[in-house]
Amino acid sequence: MADLETIELVKDIDVDKYKYGFETDIESELAPKGLSEDIVRYISAKKNEPQWMLDWRLEAFRVWQNMEEPTWAKVSYPKIDFQDLHYYAAPKSTPAPKSLDEVDPKLLETYAKLGIPLKEQEILAGVRKQGEKSELDGESGGEYASGKVAVDAVFDSVSVVTTFKDELKKHGVIFCSISEALREHPELVKQHLGSVVPQGDNFYAALNAAVFSDGSFVYVPPGVRCPMELSTYFRMNAKNTGQFERTLIIADKGSYVSYLEGCTAPTRDESQLHAAVVELIALEDAEIKYSTVQNWYPGDAEGKGGIYNFVTKRGDCRGAHSKISWTQVETGSAITWKYPSCILRGDHSRGEFYSIAISNGRQQVDSGTKMIHLGKNTSSRIISKGIAAGRSDNTYRGLVSAHRKALNARNFTQCDSLLIGDKCGAHTVPYIESKTSTAQFEHEATTSKISDDQMFYCMSRGLSEEEAVALIVNGFVRDVLQQLPMEFMAETQKLIGISLEGSVG
Amino acid sequence: MLEINNLHVKLEDESREILKGLTLSVKPGEVHAIMGPNGSGKSTLSYVLSGREGYEVTEGSVTFKGEDLLALEPDQRAAKGVFLAFQYPIEIPGVATMQFLKVALNAQRKARGQKEMSAPDFMRHVKDRAARLNVSQDMLRRPVNVGFSGGEKKRAEILQMAVLEPSLCVLDETDSGLDIDALRVVAEGVNALRSPDRAMIVITHYQRLLDYIVPDKVHVLSDGKIVRTGGKELALELEEKGYADYVVKAA
Amino acid sequence: MSALLPRTAAEDSLGVSLPNRRSEEWKWTDLRRLVTAPYARKIVAARDADIDRLVASSPFASVKAKRIIIVNGVYDAKRSQLPRGEINAVVPLADDVIVGIGSKLEASGVSLVFDGNADLPVEIVHVATGAAQQAIGVRHTISVAANAAATVIETFVGEGDYLCNTVTEISLAEGARVDRIKAEVESPEATHLSHVIATLAATAMLRDFTLTSGAALNRQNGTLTFLGENADAQIAGTYLLKGRQHADTRLVVDHAVPHCTSRELFKCVMDDNARGIFQGKVIVRPDAQKTDGKQSSHALLLSEAAEFDAKPELEIYADDVVCGHGATAGDLNHDHMFYLKSRGIPEPDAKSLLIAAFAGEAFETIEHEGIRECLSAYAEGWLARR
Repeated sequence: MADLETIELVKDIDVDKYKYGFETDIESELAPKGLSEDIVRYISAKKNEPQWMLDWRLEAFRVWQNMEEPTWAKVSYPKIDFQDLHYYAAPKSTPAPKSLDEVDPKLLETYAKLGIPLKEQEILAGVRKQGEKSELDGESGGEYASGKVAVDAVFDSVSVVTTFKDELKKHGVIFCSISEALREHPELVKQHLGSVVPQGDNFYAALNAAVFSDGSFVYVPPGVRCPMELSTYFRMNAKNTGQFERTLIIADKGSYVSYLEGCTAPTRDESQLHAAVVELIALEDAEIKYSTVQNWYPGDAEGKGGIYNFVTKRGDCRGAHSKISWTQVETGSAITWKYPSCILRGDHSRGEFYSIAISNGRQQVDSGTKMIHLGKNTSSRIISKGIAAGRSDNTYRGLVSAHRKALNARNFTQCDSLLIGDKCGAHTVPYIESKTSTAQFEHEATTSKISDDQMFYCMSRGLSEEEAVALIVNGFVRDVLQQLPMEFMAETQKLIGISLEGSVG
Repeated sequence: MLEINNLHVKLEDESREILKGLTLSVKPGEVHAIMGPNGSGKSTLSYVLSGREGYEVTEGSVTFKGEDLLALEPDQRAAKGVFLAFQYPIEIPGVATMQFLKVALNAQRKARGQKEMSAPDFMRHVKDRAARLNVSQDMLRRPVNVGFSGGEKKRAEILQMAVLEPSLCVLDETDSGLDIDALRVVAEGVNALRSPDRAMIVITHYQRLLDYIVPDKVHVLSDGKIVRTGGKELALELEEKGYADYVVKAA
Repeated sequence: MSALLPRTAAEDSLGVSLPNRRSEEWKWTDLRRLVTAPYARKIVAARDADIDRLVASSPFASVKAKRIIIVNGVYDAKRSQLPRGEINAVVPLADDVIVGIGSKLEASGVSLVFDGNADLPVEIVHVATGAAQQAIGVRHTISVAANAAATVIETFVGEGDYLCNTVTEISLAEGARVDRIKAEVESPEATHLSHVIATLAATAMLRDFTLTSGAALNRQNGTLTFLGENADAQIAGTYLLKGRQHADTRLVVDHAVPHCTSRELFKCVMDDNARGIFQGKVIVRPDAQKTDGKQSSHALLLSEAAEFDAKPELEIYADDVVCGHGATAGDLNHDHMFYLKSRGIPEPDAKSLLIAAFAGEAFETIEHEGIRECLSAYAEGWLARR
């Protein structure tokens, strides 16, 4: 009985209640609809880019024209008319803000509504307690100075503000929009852009390379432990817009950086396209921790609207003993097509992928990772937790491969799926390729539902059905939640609640 | 029988030394207890004696019955009479315990130039030893250590010792994870094997085991060296005072 | 895509287009590239002495069984102890590559119908003699009536360079049971393609085991569909591969109805430059509640150049299920080796013991003791020849 009720509750999950579904009324400057060489030139000109950058984009565009949309993922959607989209949208009132004062107050209001701690006071107040801060503060050996988070906010296609820049500068850390990086640090951008995800890597990456309008850029110099969490906040606002941001993070020898990414979009009837590219480069002994909480608008209960999220994220452990760790919480988007990957090129390098993917309503998720072992003594770990509810489809797709020269490669993979209700699907498609006997690969997967015994046990201890489901789901994803930075944990737990609203509360 | 002289050992892929000049002499018939705090190098000693890979001897020597023990492969050491009762016995799926014992015994006999034991003789050889250690026929049919409880694993280790009849037995924390009844069974099994031509090294953190297996000598291992040697009363002293005096403060 | 590619010599002689790696199912076994010889259907006469010698080389020669002998794809009435039977003309899965090649080759074979409990196993020994790049097509049907039971062995032996394409259909009525054991120990130069298609009615039981140790190139498909509730299937296999052997197994287990249980266990040993592949897909259809489906594939790589690929796939549309898979790949466990050596077992013996134990775990799924022993003996021989 308890079961049936749960199913009913889940059916009622009101995706229309999408918490972030408001529209911000800001005048925006739109490029005309459609994609052509002229639009690519228009975007490049808008951003005052150097010639080499325009050439790079045009090359990507030419490659893209000869590519076909991939069809192997377990997602279905009406054919996208790439000529019916705007490829550039910028909030008109903010050409180049130098400080928060110059930012449109409406924008700030938007971020306030989103609960994003954009203002520095808010960051300081909202994230960690004063006591903790003072204890960690100061110049003692590059430890985390405080619970401060530097934010780069990207609104539609343009980076509107970056906080804490000066403080970061003192440590030599460059954190700015990629357009600014192109102006201020062209040599760094030129050297690394496309070195992990080349222009022609895949259909969406090529599209991104041609038309990306902004994104974040991070460079951490040798031996520096970045003194605070860096964060990008993406929001899609304008109608019929594609958002194509590009993030490039370079951790030089012996450095460390933790990066957070969050996304939302307003409720709309028509679907919006998001095709981002993230490139991470970790040199010798460097470590990058990249965390994402993706909460794009998922569409309504009938599958109307919602974001099509086609994202290419890849990290290159280029140096020996480097490490890249991806943690993602995927709760939004109508369609998610996303495989944050690690190329373990440096000897002794390590890749990690921790994922929670929750799908509800009519959402379709096809996500996972690739761990490509090339260097000696490389190791990787994959923990994936998929939760399918409503009429959604949730697929884990992953590749673990050891090259012939990847001596002593190690991988452990655990992917678990949980089904809530009998109208959804949970799928697991792992690929394992071992080309050396010295590699040790271990892969485990399970699919189950919340057991009646667990429900009964919790309820016999006084929990309501919704509380019991919440408790059990939280337990199910705990291994991954623990990987999130403190700043994201609470927000994420709340988000899981919202995503499963109706059954969880 | 066993002469360890100024033994220095480190892990192959680390530079930190674990054993830092350990010297120990064990004569036939003697039972030596080695006690020490966690991290003092007790298990490393047992693995170096049995020849586990991953350890590097940087200095010193180990002589067993006049021969350089360190030059031998693990199986050669076993054939010469060295036996390690593992702290965490390894599970080997698919290999029945009985089959394992037979292959091991006959491999050792062959290496020593003895004739292989016939199947009926072998059955007899195992049967009464198993009964004494409370090892059931069912356990003997099951794969080596697979699905055994903690106590069963330790009993199975001692059974292997009884069947293979080594001349040097190294017992690595054989008491860990055992309740008092299981401990008694194991200790009785060990005591039954005490003989004038067999030596034993009993590695333990607690004195409890030594109530049952009474040692001739007790050594305190601390920071990779034997720092004190005494009679069985030393174990009682350690039980009372703890290892506080022997724990090296981390720099 | 393949329609645009020029036909290869093999495609010309077989009269079919072969899939390449762009096709997801053939990703790791690019048939178009790997099948190069112009195999063609032809009548090849065999000498009695060759036939008898090859029949005797079956790993199960010592098992008391009723035998059917197929020589170069042709039923050998003189040597067979059971009649051919009539094969139904309808070919299932007509668009499947291997079934398609079978049709082109006008494959023939035997139809086994079991109405009651068979007292002895039936062994079908497939013999291929003389190189001549012949393409052999074989097609059998096995049907077991309600509550009847049978044990069927399919053995493939041969000499020289040939292609053997075999399709076996199994249909189990309510409460029926079949134990099927296949030993693929073809000529080391041969290509072996097979597809076993099984349907299980309610409470039926399938026990399927395949030893893969012969042929240069192997592709073995299995499609199993549960049609009635409370049926139970176990599919197991052992690979013993060396040299440049290539073996790819692809299983699809379709839980179309509730309350069924499926188990897959594959133990793959690859030496030298051999490459083993296991692709298993478990589908749980909507409403197939209380499905219990597990698959595991384990690979043991004995040489640095050996290779293993796996794709254990779950596609699940019902919530009240217990499904899972496990896959491992690696060389011999170092702790196991040390433990055995510390007990006095020299390294080569310790290795053989561990390899035999690893491979033998899949033999344990076979109920017939004599057949199990034959497989252990085969594995021992294989290890000795390493």
